[in-house]
Amino acid sequence: MFKRIRSKLDDMGTIKRLCERAEIHALHDQQREPGGEHFLLAALDLPDGTARLAFEQAGAEPGALKAAIERQYGDALLSIGLTADAPPDIPVSAHSGAYQAAASGQVVMQELAEARRDHAPLLGAHVVSIVAGLPQGVVPRALRALGVDPASLKSSADAIVGKSSP
Amino acid sequence: MDDLRNIAIPTDPEEALAAVVALRRLADRIERGAVRSALQQGWSWSRVALALGVTKQAAHKRLSDVAADDSSA
Repeated sequence: MFKRIRSKLDDMGTIKRLCERAEIHALHDQQREPGGEHFLLAALDLPDGTARLAFEQAGAEPGALKAAIERQYGDALLSIGLTADAPPDIPVSAHSGAYQAAASGQVVMQELAEARRDHAPLLGAHVVSIVAGLPQGVVPRALRALGVDPASLKSSADAIVGKSSP
Repeated sequence: MDDLRNIAIPTDPEEALAAVVALRRLADRIERGAVRSALQQGWSWSRVALALGVTKQAAHKRLSDVAADDSSA
């Protein structure tokens, strides 16, 4: 009983840290609302280390994700024949009031909420599994730019989650 | 400089939509830089809004965090 309560409290702390880190990554990326890619970066920051482990087991360098996200934007512009120097970064301030995520970030938060009973406890690998399963958008493009198959990354994350379950 | 006549629109929807996302992101960054420059040159929010084709309230709501006194940009 106490173990379950303790686990829930730990999960709440993990979600709070995840959302705060995702917002920081989004703001660094000149966006107010974190998307799936920012939650993936945030998962890599979690102290349990399982998100990083999932990347490493899928043959990807976790520290290269941020550059891969940036690169896929450049690749997308190049696909239409456009090259552009990155304009200077101008700090973006966070939304005041309630936490707001971009559409892909909302999917991540909804799936985390729906699967919360299965988290014992919530790990970075759970987040990686959800984000790597996004079928379209910046995340799968960034993962491909990183040289990792999203399905392989999801499998690695699921295997880590499976081993950590009681 | 790219010749806009040479922009090729991908027929694959995934590629085309990814290009749209990247263009919007680029446009947002260009907008923030240009608005900061305009404010540093003494433009009013009304003038900025007019140039962007939006209301003053809409421009201010979206871009008010673009500080005019920071010369790092």
